[in-house]
Amino acid sequence: MHFARNAVLSCQILAARKLRTLLSMIGVVVGVGAVILMVSVGRGAEKSILDRIGKLGTDLIIVNAAPARLMIGRQRTVATVTTLSIADGRAITEDCPHVIAAAPAVSKSLVVRWESNNTTTAVSGMAAEGFRIRNIPIASGRPFDGDEDRARRRVAVVGPTVVKNIFGASDPVGEQIRIGRVPFEVIGVTRARGIDANGADQDDMVLVPLETAMRRLLNVPYIQTIYIQARGSQWLDQVEREVRNLLRARQRLTEGRPDTFTIQNQMTLLKTERDTARSMTLLIGSVAGIALLVGGVGILAVMLISVRERTREIGLRRALGARPHDIRVQFLVEAALLAGFGGILGVMAGIGATYAAAVLGFWEMLISWPAATIAFSFSITMGIIFGIYPALRASRLEPIQALKSE
Amino acid sequence: MIELENLVKNYTKGTVVTEVLKGVSFRVEKGEFVAIMGASGSGKTTLMNILGGLDKPTGGTYRLDGVDMARAGEDELSQIRNRKIGFVFQQFYLLDRADAMKNVMLPLIYADGDGGGTARAEAALAAVGLAARKHHHPAELSGGEQQRVAIARALVTDPLILLADEPTGNLDSRNGLEVLALFQRLHREGRTLVMITHDHAVAEHARRLIVLKDGRIVEDRPVDQPRDAETELRVTQDASGAGPS
Repeated sequence: MHFARNAVLSCQILAARKLRTLLSMIGVVVGVGAVILMVSVGRGAEKSILDRIGKLGTDLIIVNAAPARLMIGRQRTVATVTTLSIADGRAITEDCPHVIAAAPAVSKSLVVRWESNNTTTAVSGMAAEGFRIRNIPIASGRPFDGDEDRARRRVAVVGPTVVKNIFGASDPVGEQIRIGRVPFEVIGVTRARGIDANGADQDDMVLVPLETAMRRLLNVPYIQTIYIQARGSQWLDQVEREVRNLLRARQRLTEGRPDTFTIQNQMTLLKTERDTARSMTLLIGSVAGIALLVGGVGILAVMLISVRERTREIGLRRALGARPHDIRVQFLVEAALLAGFGGILGVMAGIGATYAAAVLGFWEMLISWPAATIAFSFSITMGIIFGIYPALRASRLEPIQALKSE
Repeated sequence: MIELENLVKNYTKGTVVTEVLKGVSFRVEKGEFVAIMGASGSGKTTLMNILGGLDKPTGGTYRLDGVDMARAGEDELSQIRNRKIGFVFQQFYLLDRADAMKNVMLPLIYADGDGGGTARAEAALAAVGLAARKHHHPAELSGGEQQRVAIARALVTDPLILLADEPTGNLDSRNGLEVLALFQRLHREGRTLVMITHDHAVAEHARRLIVLKDGRIVEDRPVDQPRDAETELRVTQDASGAGPS
């Protein structure tokens, strides 16, 4: 059989029945389009989580001086305890082999004033290494250093939200602010970092040297948090173990007693979120896949009608020398062509919808080319699979009966 | 070329066996123009189907070009239909979505591959006098022209015999005569034609007449004075030309 010549004829026959052909393809178009759109949305969500992991610093571990419980699926510290000290931070840096640096910190919500404006914000006392460990970028001015920390200097680095709240459009660097009643000089502004994984504004804060905060602001001998930088993201679990063992030993916690502190491995947290996003992508992708399957059933129906309608054509072709095999191939090719055209239109529709959604600003989207390729190949495969039965029926028609049919 | 020996065909429906052909024997040689005539129910359509390799006999033998058709498989029969037989049907059976050329080329889709399909189809359309209409669709052609396209389709594979089943049955007398004139010309050019009809006037355009009745041949004789379709056409033309003016 002249395969190509017959395929061209099939195209012409399909093209001559434009409305029917279009209607039969709609299911596939919608299915393929939906798969691409849904997976693109899911991939976009995944990417935004991965970006957040990158911004956070992938080698960060946080120790909180409080036992934690799972609340609504997230770890939350339940009560502040007073057992962690600056010495613990030093010990972690010195004794844990996979730790590069540790920055102890304290934090309290305080009123910050500039001229007649005031705002309540999280004031953190933090060791100078914290800027590097927590990956806090400076937009203008400078961070404080270790000497200023040891000297208990009253200097502050403020977040953009605080700047907006009390300075408005003025440049805050060099200005005097009051935290509580204590005057501080603003020496830097951090770059905007947005919302963190828990939904808190990371820019609504003021950073001051740790010793300054402990002695001049809060008057406490203990710290609340230790930020720890591991040697690399692959050592995070190792570091978590080392830190836990060290702190338990230093606090003389005997076997069986619960930790008085919480170690937060941010990577683990975000990995869980990414996995959730992935399974979400898979889920909505599968739903779209079912839509595609329904499109295949549409093709099955149209091909069955087509075989019935073209019974006489089939009889004629048999009389003119087509073998049953040739008839089978013809109808399979037509089903594959229908599904294939539908698939191409679906890919275009899916990409178009993805762009449209991105332009309308729903959220970040990544066109998933693997999903597009798979959905397109799947549509053709499905066309062939759903074409098998109609093709078999067509090839089994008796030429005489087929010719006589109306 | 065609050898029928005591051909029998029964149809079985449930337990009822209907004998349609009850022992038919004849031979057709190359270059003959045979009309097979009979009333409806005489078995002529069944005979045509068997001659065309669309149906198989229950008994007896049918040899076409030396091949025992009763023993041929489905695929072999398909090939024989494609290469050795050209069908012309009462209802033309053209694909209305395809133009004349595409219709004529349809059998070539199933023929063994060489190029030149377009040239062969053009030659076949020229042979039936429709070279100028090759890109017309069936709906744009008259009944007579449609049947000529169908004849071109039958000729395009250069078959051993042309099998026509009531080729004028759906045409008015003028278009019918044109088709018969074409058959007579093809006969003069050396083609073998077998035409099935119930119409005596149509049958008399052939050179040999086989009459079937109740599944048996009751008459097999040469046509004494075959009609000439071209002459008849001229007469009709003159008649209409001399009409009201």
